[in-house]
Amino acid sequence: MKKLTLMLLATAAIFSLRTGQAAAKDTLVDAKKKGVLVCGVKDSLPPFGYVDAGTREIVGYDIDFCRALADKLKVKVEMKPVTSASRIPQLQEGNIDLIAATMTHTAEREKQIDFSHTYFVTGQKFLAKAGTVKTLKDLEGKKVATAKGSTSEQNVSKAVPTATVLSFDDYPQAVLAMQQGKVVAVTTDESILMGQLNKLPSGQYEIPSLQISEEPYGLGMRKGDTAFVAFVNKTLLEMEKNGEARRIYDKWFTATSGTPRARNFTITAGK
Amino acid sequence: MLNYKFDWAVVTSGKYLDWLLSGLKVTVQLSAVAMVASFVLGLAIAVLRLSPLRPLRAVAAAYVEFFRNTPLVVQIFFWYFGSYQLLPAALNDWLNNHNFEFGAAVIALTIYTSAFIAEDIRSGILAVPKEQMEAARSAGFSYLTAMRRVILPQAVRITVPPLVNQFLNLTKNSSLAMTIGVAELTYQARQVESYSFKGFEAFTAATVVYLALSLVITGTVAVYDRKVLNPALGR
Repeated sequence: MKKLTLMLLATAAIFSLRTGQAAAKDTLVDAKKKGVLVCGVKDSLPPFGYVDAGTREIVGYDIDFCRALADKLKVKVEMKPVTSASRIPQLQEGNIDLIAATMTHTAEREKQIDFSHTYFVTGQKFLAKAGTVKTLKDLEGKKVATAKGSTSEQNVSKAVPTATVLSFDDYPQAVLAMQQGKVVAVTTDESILMGQLNKLPSGQYEIPSLQISEEPYGLGMRKGDTAFVAFVNKTLLEMEKNGEARRIYDKWFTATSGTPRARNFTITAGK
Repeated sequence: MLNYKFDWAVVTSGKYLDWLLSGLKVTVQLSAVAMVASFVLGLAIAVLRLSPLRPLRAVAAAYVEFFRNTPLVVQIFFWYFGSYQLLPAALNDWLNNHNFEFGAAVIALTIYTSAFIAEDIRSGILAVPKEQMEAARSAGFSYLTAMRRVILPQAVRITVPPLVNQFLNLTKNSSLAMTIGVAELTYQARQVESYSFKGFEAFTAATVVYLALSLVITGTVAVYDRKVLNPALGR
């Protein structure tokens, strides 16, 4: 696994060298010349990026941000599906111009690419019976369930060292254990928890606004593509100001979307 | 991945070793408790299975067929998750506060293994010449006393080799307890893997420990068999 990461890093380094030699691409100029902005997006991760069953087109929260950017540039937009492993090399190789694929802004990635301001924030949360978990104190010395092999396990052990972590093979079992009172909460990424919450009888369970790790999503751009980075950031701030960012948010995270969620962030120049 | 760098220090020192050792402890506890319980239960079922009373025989036969013919992991889930629907709320609360993961795993392992052990002991009993029972009965022993004093001591001796098999299976089957979050050896090995990315080392360590555990069980029973149960046979 470490080896694989190293290989990926090496590959990425080679690609970044290559584009480096090609005199730091200016995406802003190129996209206008080509008349198209190519976005690397997820295609099976609702509500961020997935293929709409009716239109067979990729839609989602990430996609709407791409469209907004392309509109602002007055160019067409093209969606290219990427995976978490392929997105950074693809960007560096020039196959895509922008990553909008639920990518968490991390220090390691920042060494390879540039990030926009944070345009979505999620994090590791808890799913529990309504009213039972208000603070992390409510979890001390209790049992908390999650799925095996996830980073959620490590985060919760760090956040509440006295809690016993029970790891099940999959999330539905963890949720069943919580329903039966065997554990007080299930913990993992909020997006997964929302999917589980959907399946439970409404009103009896909740995801309290307790977060133990933060996952700020940023749009990814080639390192040194300064003009484009500035353009994207400026556009994001405008979208926040004129309410478009919120409209997009509301479109994908309303009560009827299956993943209802309050907007717990605003796009700012801070990050 | 031929140039994979082995890092045995991961599993021979530090916190990962502690995890594996704590997993070993739970595995030994699980196996030991279930071993004793399943032997006793298996013995009882075997005796019922040969009872002169037809309804008792039928119940015991149904028990054996039911529990040895359903997957152990299903039984573990049944006792852990399914029992919730059948038990009163107060008992559920009590169980949830008393390490029910371990308890449910012991119950499932015990019942599953006892079905196999019952069959082994039954064949051991049948291997004792039936004249012995007849002689004991005509000497005035009741059926149960004859069983306890005359037949079973011989039957258990005959049963030792297949019993070792059942105990070995039980020890290895205890790894399925990880599916309900019991932190036994396999669970801990997987933990070590997901934290250190050293899966090969972690599971090799677990393999070696299971092997050692199995050899200890085999050896102990072999010695017990030779020195205590069948000194004359010199087996």
